[in-house]
Amino acid sequence: MNLDGALQTFFAEAEDLLNSMEAALLRLDEGDKDMETINEIFRAAHTIKGSAGLFGLDDIVSFTHIVENVLDRARDEKIIITGDLLSIFLPCRDHIATLVENARHQRANDAQCLAQGKALLDSLLPWLETAAQPAVASAPFVVAAAATTASWNSDGTGTNHNAWHISVRLGPDLLRNGMDPLSILRYLRTLGDISHIATITDHLPEFNDFDPERLYLGFEITLVSNASQQQIEDAFMFVRDDSDLKLIPPRSNIEAYVNLIKSLPENTQRLGEILVKSHAISFQELDAALATQKHQAKSAGAVDMLGDILIEEQAVPAEIVNAALDKQKKVSEKKASGENRFIRVDAERLDILINLIGELVINRQRVDLLSSKMGNPTLIEAVTSMGNFTEAIRDAALTLRMVPIGDTFQKFKRVVRDTAKSIGKEIELEIEGAETELDRSMVEKLNDPLMHIVRNAMDHGIESVAVRQTRDKPDTGTIKLTARHDAGNIVIGIHDDGGGLDVERIRKKAIANGILEEGIHLSRQELFQLIFHPGLSTAEQVTNLSGRGVGMDVVKRNIEELQGGIEIESEIGVGTSFSIRLPLTLAIIDGFHVTAGHIDFIVPQNTILECVDLNSLNHVQGQNCVNLRGDQVPYIRLREIFSLQPKDHSREKIVVVQFGEKRAGIVVDELHGEIQTVVKPMGPIFQALKGIGGSSLLGTGAVALILDIQQLIGFAISREHLRNNAFLVSAQEQEE
Amino acid sequence: MNQLSKQKKSQVSEVIKQYLTFRIGNENYGLELSQTREIIEYSGITEVPLMPNFLRGVINLRGEVVPVIDLAVRLGRKSIEVQKRTCIIVVELQNNEQNHVLGLLADSVSEVIEMSDENIEDAPSFGANIRAEFIQGIAKRDDEFVVLLDANSALSIRELAHLVEAQLQ
Repeated sequence: MNLDGALQTFFAEAEDLLNSMEAALLRLDEGDKDMETINEIFRAAHTIKGSAGLFGLDDIVSFTHIVENVLDRARDEKIIITGDLLSIFLPCRDHIATLVENARHQRANDAQCLAQGKALLDSLLPWLETAAQPAVASAPFVVAAAATTASWNSDGTGTNHNAWHISVRLGPDLLRNGMDPLSILRYLRTLGDISHIATITDHLPEFNDFDPERLYLGFEITLVSNASQQQIEDAFMFVRDDSDLKLIPPRSNIEAYVNLIKSLPENTQRLGEILVKSHAISFQELDAALATQKHQAKSAGAVDMLGDILIEEQAVPAEIVNAALDKQKKVSEKKASGENRFIRVDAERLDILINLIGELVINRQRVDLLSSKMGNPTLIEAVTSMGNFTEAIRDAALTLRMVPIGDTFQKFKRVVRDTAKSIGKEIELEIEGAETELDRSMVEKLNDPLMHIVRNAMDHGIESVAVRQTRDKPDTGTIKLTARHDAGNIVIGIHDDGGGLDVERIRKKAIANGILEEGIHLSRQELFQLIFHPGLSTAEQVTNLSGRGVGMDVVKRNIEELQGGIEIESEIGVGTSFSIRLPLTLAIIDGFHVTAGHIDFIVPQNTILECVDLNSLNHVQGQNCVNLRGDQVPYIRLREIFSLQPKDHSREKIVVVQFGEKRAGIVVDELHGEIQTVVKPMGPIFQALKGIGGSSLLGTGAVALILDIQQLIGFAISREHLRNNAFLVSAQEQEE
Repeated sequence: MNQLSKQKKSQVSEVIKQYLTFRIGNENYGLELSQTREIIEYSGITEVPLMPNFLRGVINLRGEVVPVIDLAVRLGRKSIEVQKRTCIIVVELQNNEQNHVLGLLADSVSEVIEMSDENIEDAPSFGANIRAEFIQGIAKRDDEFVVLLDANSALSIRELAHLVEAQLQ
């Protein structure tokens, strides 16, 4: 049992919970009044508190406990979460995050941090009940309990309604396994109040026989709690296997206690006394119960269920009980389906798996090749079916790394909310396509560029309320984050309805900063792209958010590192849209194997529209352009652009590819067919080489180069640019 | 205690290192054995377009794609012509805390020699026809000179990448 590992899990879990807590708080902020949202926040706080208690992280427990109490009152609809309270809860969440973070780095919480916590708790005080009662948790139970309090009390049992009795004999090897029984008790305390505890020391041996590494203890615990049986049993999760655990739910029949006493190895009388002391049962009851026990046992049949008793005694109508039970069931089902579906896996292990599958894919290619060389039909059939499975395994493995982009988007809600407040603008963030998935490794690298663009949009894009009013726009500006899949790519959009980019100003600024020479014609898109140039910022004043001219160039570089591209569309006074296009995954792709000269190339399958014999098409006079069913498609010859030696007698083919909204042809010497390829990075030496995104191994063991279509076209254009600037300008004008 | 300090002293005075020696043209070169990983037979290189002459291409080394450098060109000699004894020396270099694997094309591999630091002379400031910073030292062996290369300098990933970039512009 490695507690360190468990602790790491706690930190990861806490991070997730804090994120979902933040998201839920922000939903409330937007006017969401769903009880389930408040429940979600409560559950998050509750779980963090519980787990923190297990590890003895007392600062987290004590702070979160208060927050949880306030949340609990909101759950009981005793208070309503309004803007005031929300603006305390958000910093509270942050404070919990800070405490967790400190614990993760084993830092002590410094005085400032503690003072901050204190201040937050003080501000929560008005929402707390004056008499700090233990929280009442599940709503349906409250109804039932409240309705029956009177009748139960008149029964004369006088026991606590929420008191569980826990009887546990801990396994002898617990200490050797590195478990601390105290941590279990600490955890129980987070579930409720331990009103009575008796340590059973009956099994302690004579001193000479005492083994200090052996655990001889047991506990009889009375826990006042609204936790479910499952939750309480979970406290013993790590020790359950070798320990003897018995639970008696609140309001249980006296029979249950009697049975417990009988089943335990210790002296009956002594256990009876403990139970009486713990107010689980009264002395008379015990006596009577023990006396009549035989008789009762004879009266056959199960012990009456609590619900049945209630109905029999007509304390509550049957429907209410049924409804309450139904609701309870639903809640627990919902929890089960929503929260327990995930397994945490170390990302590194996943990467190893994916690498191995990559090797499998390559080897399969090789077996394919060999089997078709041998020409044995049975073998070919077997290899083909194996190939199908390999493909399925590959696809399944890749989905393991896929995560919805929604979580990333969600983080911006908070950023936008806080930033908008601090700069005195009203901005709303809309999210579309949150369920769109992409590779986890890309999500992480996407964070910074998105942050830059969103911040820029808030700072420079969206106008102040006063300006918006003069422009007949709604006071509240909107930033919209969108994501969708498009032909094997993911397209992420950041739109704002702000002031838009002024092309002329960008041009002037670029000329003033010496980035652009006067008189050079650039397309609208190219002018927009200038904002990614280091040292060009169009904001007239520098603010603390952005506008220092650093950042946008980093954005572009980050996106290019991910083999992606970014395009801008903007209209003055209407708004700006950035769209980032990225491949779904960087690990394994479907490709099309071609050769040009003596080099093998792979064209990513998802970019290919069709392949045609070059000679069968009509050429546009004097240009590298063909007529494809009435459309003019410009092309580049791989042999030319890469200065390769021509092959003899080759009949050139044109591979028509699409990137973004544009189409282009790539002329190659030979087509070989589809191939699954594992992308191998080319390494830093080749960084400057444009148009080749990586390399891959063929079934023969030879290396093939994977074309990066977008870069390749860009490279071709820039080369042409150098060679013949005037020609390009005219070509581009045609294009527009 | 006494013995220990003695031992230490003798270690300081006489460091023996192993070097892998190989031939390029009619010259002998050596690399620290600890920096080399393996020697493989030449069996074809995939050419990468537009690369400067010293970068011959890439090979598949058991699933890893490894760039191959023509050491002769890098050292300012005539490009290596592939013959029967041509081989690729695979070296592993540390750079920015990352491991980089490179293949070096050589005319033939000779042997592994042991050299104590005392027997290695500093690089001459001129006359070797090789950039001085590429040379770690010169060793003499059987009346022949062996130029011991400073792999981190001669094969600096950064510089190689810069050269590629320059070639492409």
